[in-house]
Amino acid sequence: MTDSTAQCKTGLLGCLGLSWFFRLLSSSIGQKFVMGLTGLLLCGFLVAHLAGNLLLFAGAEPFNHYAHALHSQWELLALAEFGLVVLFLAHVYLAVTTTIGNYRARRDFYVLKQSKVPGRIIGANSWMFASGSVVLGFVILHLIDLRLGLRSSLHYLPEENFEAPFRNTLAALSDPISRVVYFLGAIILGVHLSHGFASAFQSLGLNHPKYTPLIKIIGKIFGVIIAVGFASIVVFVPGMWR
Amino acid sequence: MNHVASKNLNLTLKIWRQAGPKQPGGLKTYQVRGISTDMSFLEMLDVLNEQLIASGEEPVAFDHDCREGICGTCGVVINGQAHGPDSGTTTCQLHMRRFHDGDTIVIEPWLAKAFPIVRDLIVDRSAFDRIIQAGGFVSVNTGNAPEANTTLVPHHVQQDAMNAAACIGCGACVASCKNASAMLFVSAKVSHLASLPQGQAERSKRVLNMVATMDAEHFGNCTNTGECEAACPAKIKLSNIAQLNREYMKAALLSKE
Amino acid sequence: MVTVADTPLDGRCPDGNIASRWDQRKRDLKLVAPNNKRKYTVIVVGTGLAGGSAAASLAELGYNVLSFCIQDSPRRAHSIAAQGGINAAKNYQNDGDSVWRLFYDTVKGGEWRARESNVYRLATLSTSIIDQCVAQGVPFAREYGGTLTNRSFGGAQVSRTFYCGGQTGQQLLLGAYQAMMRQVSGGGIKLFTRREMLDLVVVDGIARGIVTRDLVTGKYETFVSDAVVLCTGGYGNAYYLSTMAKTCNVTAAWRCHKRGAYFANPCFTQIHPTCIPVSGDHQSKLTLMSESLRNDGRVWVPKTKGDTRSPDQIPEDERDYYLERRYPSYGNLAPRDVSSRAAKERCDAGFGVGPSGMSVYLDFSKAIKEDGESVIREKYGNLFHMYERITDENPYKVPMRIYPAVHYTMGGLWVDYNLQSNLPGLYVLGEANFSDHGANRLGASALMQGLADGYFVIPYTVGDHIATRKVKPISADRPEFHEALEAAKSRTAAILNVKGTHSTEHFHRALGKIMWDHVGMARNEKGLLHAIEQIKTLREQFWHDVKVIGSGETLNQNLEHAGRVADFLEFAELLARDALYRDESCGGHFREEHQTEEGECERNDADFSYVSAWEYQGIGTESILHKEPLTFVDAPFGVRSYK
Ligand SMILES: Cc1cc2nc3c(=O)[nH]c(=O)nc-3n(C[C@H](O)[C@H](O)[C@H](O)COP(=O)(O)OP(=O)(O)OC[C@H]3O[C@@H](n4cnc5c(N)ncnc54)[C@H](O)[C@@H]3O)c2cc1C
Ligand code: HEM
Ligand code: SF4
Ligand code: FES
Repeated sequence: MTDSTAQCKTGLLGCLGLSWFFRLLSSSIGQKFVMGLTGLLLCGFLVAHLAGNLLLFAGAEPFNHYAHALHSQWELLALAEFGLVVLFLAHVYLAVTTTIGNYRARRDFYVLKQSKVPGRIIGANSWMFASGSVVLGFVILHLIDLRLGLRSSLHYLPEENFEAPFRNTLAALSDPISRVVYFLGAIILGVHLSHGFASAFQSLGLNHPKYTPLIKIIGKIFGVIIAVGFASIVVFVPGMWR
Repeated sequence: MNHVASKNLNLTLKIWRQAGPKQPGGLKTYQVRGISTDMSFLEMLDVLNEQLIASGEEPVAFDHDCREGICGTCGVVINGQAHGPDSGTTTCQLHMRRFHDGDTIVIEPWLAKAFPIVRDLIVDRSAFDRIIQAGGFVSVNTGNAPEANTTLVPHHVQQDAMNAAACIGCGACVASCKNASAMLFVSAKVSHLASLPQGQAERSKRVLNMVATMDAEHFGNCTNTGECEAACPAKIKLSNIAQLNREYMKAALLSKE
Repeated sequence: MVTVADTPLDGRCPDGNIASRWDQRKRDLKLVAPNNKRKYTVIVVGTGLAGGSAAASLAELGYNVLSFCIQDSPRRAHSIAAQGGINAAKNYQNDGDSVWRLFYDTVKGGEWRARESNVYRLATLSTSIIDQCVAQGVPFAREYGGTLTNRSFGGAQVSRTFYCGGQTGQQLLLGAYQAMMRQVSGGGIKLFTRREMLDLVVVDGIARGIVTRDLVTGKYETFVSDAVVLCTGGYGNAYYLSTMAKTCNVTAAWRCHKRGAYFANPCFTQIHPTCIPVSGDHQSKLTLMSESLRNDGRVWVPKTKGDTRSPDQIPEDERDYYLERRYPSYGNLAPRDVSSRAAKERCDAGFGVGPSGMSVYLDFSKAIKEDGESVIREKYGNLFHMYERITDENPYKVPMRIYPAVHYTMGGLWVDYNLQSNLPGLYVLGEANFSDHGANRLGASALMQGLADGYFVIPYTVGDHIATRKVKPISADRPEFHEALEAAKSRTAAILNVKGTHSTEHFHRALGKIMWDHVGMARNEKGLLHAIEQIKTLREQFWHDVKVIGSGETLNQNLEHAGRVADFLEFAELLARDALYRDESCGGHFREEHQTEEGECERNDADFSYVSAWEYQGIGTESILHKEPLTFVDAPFGVRSYK
């Protein structure tokens, strides 16, 4: 079609020559792609976040230094946080819309349903939305606890205090509600990733007989590392530095 | 492995009965006796239907034709599994030796928004035809073809194409998927034609149009559970879906279509 | 007895050099101008290889095509089940093949009962089929270097069969189906699935439309066209047990026959030697094990009668490789009719194996030992898998057990060289016509014929009908349409009204038994006369006693089946009569009265070198026989020996 007026009928994106982009984002595969990409980038964040947080085992000094070093780069940090929020919201938004779409496509449910995948009784993957939702709950509480500092019961130290990062984290980790939610969140996040990690590669079209089996194994290991890593912080750190 | 002598089974069948697309449906219970383990699953249903006719009840409608596992016409969900318990097997090729005396077997039609029920165990799979119609072909008019050996196709490429082309269009992938996704079916055709030199000219257009139609027909998205691959009688591999994703993104981002 | 028409039937073949006859015909055929084509409607009934390829090609030319099939999708036509391959005279193997040799093999394979001109055209077009299919993306098997590869099939000493694993028919059909769907999206084809053709409408002696029943809603409809192309496949299900798909039927062809189209050579039916044996009374369908298996499998029975040892316990020298023994130069690749009879002969003589004694071994142990299991798996994996699923025996370890079964029907509606029946405007393609295989079809030649007819013959010849007869537009309000519609409705209603006590299945099985016992692999006068009487009686019983539940206004598979069985019950009589009248043995038609001392066919060229084309005179009235004489110049009569 060379008639430009005809193209404009498809709206602003059309006029900008971006209707293809709209088509991409509204297609099932485009959405999957974004889901996978955001998921993997969030995984990248998790690795960095876990590495930083493992410093809690090393004690107040190293952790506070790390935290202050991070905060001194505030422009970068703001950018990263903004990026994370976008990734996260995109991931959650698509999770909700595709799950609704998928539910509608199924429409009717079998009276009896059994998996045909050898050895599978209930797979982690049928619970991606459920596990994601638990993670979402965990993340929200986590942000309330530590990013926004909204829970007065935790008795936050003011930010100017050099000890604040460590003390405040410890306060949150010692709170019974947070402990339970964080612990569950970490485990469920691991479950989410044990399927999600390898699945994202499939969604991105990255599949190869030589590498895919490896990616699948790495995905499982990754899930375990994330779960055990974060959960161990919840379990051990408060006791170590009481 | 030598054939085990055949036995006779008495079974309880719970079958989805539905008089028409708009009528309500439900499971109905029937008893069949003396089913030989050498029978195919459909032959067992034949026996039931003869019994129903004799007693004046309308026989159970189920789709079938070749009874050889190739036409893709048959297909029901048996005890919650599309095409029953055997892997790489269509309903017509499933044999009763897979069952035991006294078993209860629940038989339901393919369920999906895109596959409305026609009657009993028969569904309307014409959405698959419309997906192929959107681009699952090579545009070459009769008489236009060059000599067959002009373009060489390496053995392994041919094998990949053949493995993908083996899809029988039965719809078990959709039926078994919690999202009623048709990705395995679509990916089989896209991979088949994308891997061959003859499919190159329309490679981008094909995948864009087929996926657009797939979405418009209300199939769900893929969440990589692998249920389709496990249910597929033609053993179409999940790797085709990865290829579909790749083909689609390449076409969406890089082609002029 | 039989009334024979005075004037011989003319196949209207071009004359002159056989190699240039098709070119000459193409020169003589009238054309329809490109922009005029869209003014004409062509009905194509059937979406198998013949119908699919015809519909696609006609729509590409610009005709308005209306396409009909019984299945829910055109892709499911019976052609999908073809396993072994498709012949073409490409001579890629450099083993001496040529158009002439394919032509000769086909005429000889059919025992000199096919039309030379047609067969030569078929052999010529065979190469273009492969080109066309490859261009569509059909993934034919390849050599490592990327060239196309071939396998051998029965009845040929060259390797000319192209294949896609054990799913050749599937891949070819999907190619045609995809070409069709491309035209559906372009508007050239209107698709009508789950529609059964129940009658042909003839107006002023010209085929002008059809009557169909919508199998989902039960609605009857009429469709008007300028030509009707019938591609409705074979009638093997007259025998109940066959390798045909369950919906294969004679209904469309039979109803055309009742409207005046001649039915040719109905007794030429093919019994395929390698099928999985019947396992019990429940059996609803027989499964073919592709003939290609005989490339590597060896057929044998024990040398001692009633030997019940398991096959691995029977030493080499106590095995009778009877095909290799009787036909040393073709061995296990002897043609189908010959191999089938040889198996029957061994089993009837008491050497058969398996629980019923009605099967022979097809043994791969030698090939597995020589080439390795993986090679065999690549060639036949899906067939072995299918065998194991059905029989619960692993053919990599235990020899397969096989027995002959009805597989293909060479007979069909009579057509001339242009594939037009004696009713102008009615064309018949693929297995539904009688044209190219004579008394026996060679393996891998049906796919070739269906596609040659659809891709490369009908696009030329339909135009000639439209251009020369200057067909005028008509409306479906004509009385002929009403009459046909009412006839179709009342026949279905009559079936529903019988309200008897026996199911359709019962009658179909009973018919099948009569046919297999008396009109099967070996026939004789007494048996045939007996069969004719039995068929008549069964037909009467059917109309008094069939029980079809449900209504005609919904999807009712039982009713569909009953309609088809009703037609089989009429048609079967003609089949048996044709077999009775053809008092010779040739190809798939073996009359026990005419055999050599070694049990081979004894053909009678002096009296029977013609096509029998039957003209309908009413049920219970004997049909009139039209003879189309056959002459053989380029492939002169010979002895059909595979020794
Ligand atoms: C198991 C098996 C294996 C075979 N293997 C080979 C092989 O390897 N090589 C080879 O060359 N040949 C083989 N053959 C033979 C070959 O497959 C068939 O002869 C050929 O495919 C017939 O094609 P067709 O288009 O004429 O008819 P079909 O494919 O039978 O199609 C008939 C079409 O007509 C439609 N139809 C029928 N009746 C009606 C009606 N009343 N109203 C509306 N529509 C109707 C059907 O829906 C269908 O679409 C094999 C056959 C069988 C059974
Ligand atoms: C740190 C947080 C998270 C990480 C690292 C993460 C990671 C991933 C990854 C890698 C995938 C695989 C993507 C694919 O299959 O293409 C995925 C899928 C998914 N995620 Fe998350 N996720 C996170 C949080 C969430 C949240 C909060 C939700 C909210 C509901 C969620 C819901 C889902 C769903 C439903 C899927 C399945 C989508 C599909 O398979 O198509 N995730 N996630
Ligand atoms: S991909 Fe497999 S399950 Fe899906 S339609 Fe094709 S053959 Fe059936
Ligand atoms: S009936 Fe054809 S695949 Fe089952």
